[in-house]
Amino acid sequence: MATVEVRDLRKRYQDFLALDGVSLKAETGQLVTLLGPSGCGKSTTLRCLAGFLEANGGEITVDGESILGTPANRRGFGVVFQNYALFPHMTVAENIGYGLKIQKLPKSEIETRVYDAMKLVRLDGLGDRLPRAISGGQQQRVALARALVLKPKLLLLDEPLANLDARLRDEVRWLIRDLQQQSGITAFYVTHDQSEAMAMSDMVAVMKAGRVAQFATPREIYQKPTERYVADFTGEANFIPCQSVTPQGEGRYAITAAGATLELEGVPGITGPAELLLRPEALSLTAPEAGTFKGTVTKSAFLGAALHCEITLPDGSMLKLAAEPNHKVRTGEVVGIAIDNSHAWLMPEVAP
Amino acid sequence: MSLKNPKLLLAIPAIALIFVFMILPITNMVEMSFRTPGTSAPFGDDYTAQHYDRILSDGHYWSVLIRSLLTAGLVTVLCLIVSYPIAWHMSKARGMKAVFLYACIASPLMTGVLVRNFGWMIAAALNGPLNQTLLGLGIIEMPLRLLFTQGLVILALVHVFVPFMVLPINNALRNISPTLIEASSSMGATRREVFRDIILPLSFPGIYPGMILVYVLAVAAYVTPALLGGAMVSYMPTLIIGELTGTFQWPFGSALAIVLSVSTILVVALFTALTSRLMERSKA
Repeated sequence: MATVEVRDLRKRYQDFLALDGVSLKAETGQLVTLLGPSGCGKSTTLRCLAGFLEANGGEITVDGESILGTPANRRGFGVVFQNYALFPHMTVAENIGYGLKIQKLPKSEIETRVYDAMKLVRLDGLGDRLPRAISGGQQQRVALARALVLKPKLLLLDEPLANLDARLRDEVRWLIRDLQQQSGITAFYVTHDQSEAMAMSDMVAVMKAGRVAQFATPREIYQKPTERYVADFTGEANFIPCQSVTPQGEGRYAITAAGATLELEGVPGITGPAELLLRPEALSLTAPEAGTFKGTVTKSAFLGAALHCEITLPDGSMLKLAAEPNHKVRTGEVVGIAIDNSHAWLMPEVAP
Repeated sequence: MSLKNPKLLLAIPAIALIFVFMILPITNMVEMSFRTPGTSAPFGDDYTAQHYDRILSDGHYWSVLIRSLLTAGLVTVLCLIVSYPIAWHMSKARGMKAVFLYACIASPLMTGVLVRNFGWMIAAALNGPLNQTLLGLGIIEMPLRLLFTQGLVILALVHVFVPFMVLPINNALRNISPTLIEASSSMGATRREVFRDIILPLSFPGIYPGMILVYVLAVAAYVTPALLGGAMVSYMPTLIIGELTGTFQWPFGSALAIVLSVSTILVVALFTALTSRLMERSKA
């Protein structure tokens, strides 16, 4: 329903640069996640989109038209807050119907639409309760219904699951994704939880100190990160510094690292120092002579579904891997490590 | 009680205080209001309901009572109107600015009641600063007679009661999460609608105690109406003190005081009943 583009967005608080040129794009019906640690600017970006904050520079367009001059109450975006921000003095039905009442729609239409919205988020029968008399998960669904009932052009979600316990989080996560896809609403979703970002998003923007470090699909973010920061933030990762890097055509390299020679894909155009990214699932244990690397087991722990091992390589770098649970390893044992080349990735070394 | 119920034990000082300084004097006053008038003592030996009969059947007392209640109501409403914007700005202030504002708000209370009222008498005199300013600005051509008017009494009462209104409202406003305001504006509400639908109802837990405090204080105010109101208009407290210390009619004065107290309680109870739904919903 709407294509949203953020270009070079800047926001400064006195002497703190909260946004240092953020650029993003959400195509119609996409869910774009802003992922990063606290203070990276993800919420600031969302608040600029919502119109709660005024940017100091840059542009935000919806379907090609700038919205920076439009106040929050005329943008027509739905916002879901981390603390839900339900009006405590209004019932569930009044909360959901508030935006419709502001639009001065006829009472009967408000009632029908509120009823439908409550049904959509499975809140039937709770319309007369006050927010304080329902559970956290229900409150979150009221917040969602309240935003969706207005048929917004854009849905903005600011860590909507942060205050829920793990079980509910999963349930509401799928509900949000389902509703967003059913209604085809473009959405921005702020979170610091990488698994949430991976599972729900069409596109992920990993943010770092007021900038977008990488903007790509969840698969690319995970398998082909542009720098160590992104790889670190999106899951378990091992990094090994490379001794030599020889380009072998577009995005392919021959490298030596920790005494082994490898040929693999990587970020295109690496010229300087590089490091090898090995996700735990790229690694498996094998006989000392059969592996690409040879190392000493320094730690092992049985986790049920997997055997978690830490292995120190001759050059001192450490590899974490998840081995088959019935594999017998002893601390101090020398083992070989086989690498699945399709899960290995070369990145330039970038200052953290 | 004793050791089996330590909570009750801890409450004893408070209960004792309330008993000695509230229950006993009020009981004493109620009893006094049913005594016959005395000539050689403050009250006679017999009991009678004649004082209540006299108050309730005399239009003069009714009109003074109603004037007292209405004036207090007007003071309360004016105080609310003056205080709300102040409380709003205070709720936004942080750090030294907040401290400065608190000091400004409390300043009317830092002056003694007599000094403050004599100050008003000087300010409101025919050739006092208020008239001089109005004349100087060309707003009036002749000095206004401000002193000994109801208007001045109301102005002076509003002035001194502002802190009692500002502080609880400020407190309630501080408790309103800013995300509620953002949420309502994202749903399309204008600033006016945000105020009407969100801020005003959610600040009611501050408005309510503020209004009750100011109303009760205004009904019972004595010094201000006595000094600034002059002899032409009387209020219940001035009337009561007149009976007690002027004509020394303790039983009749007590009956007047009881009538005033009961009327005030009725007004407060009515207000509470009318706003109970709002209060129930808006309290955190």
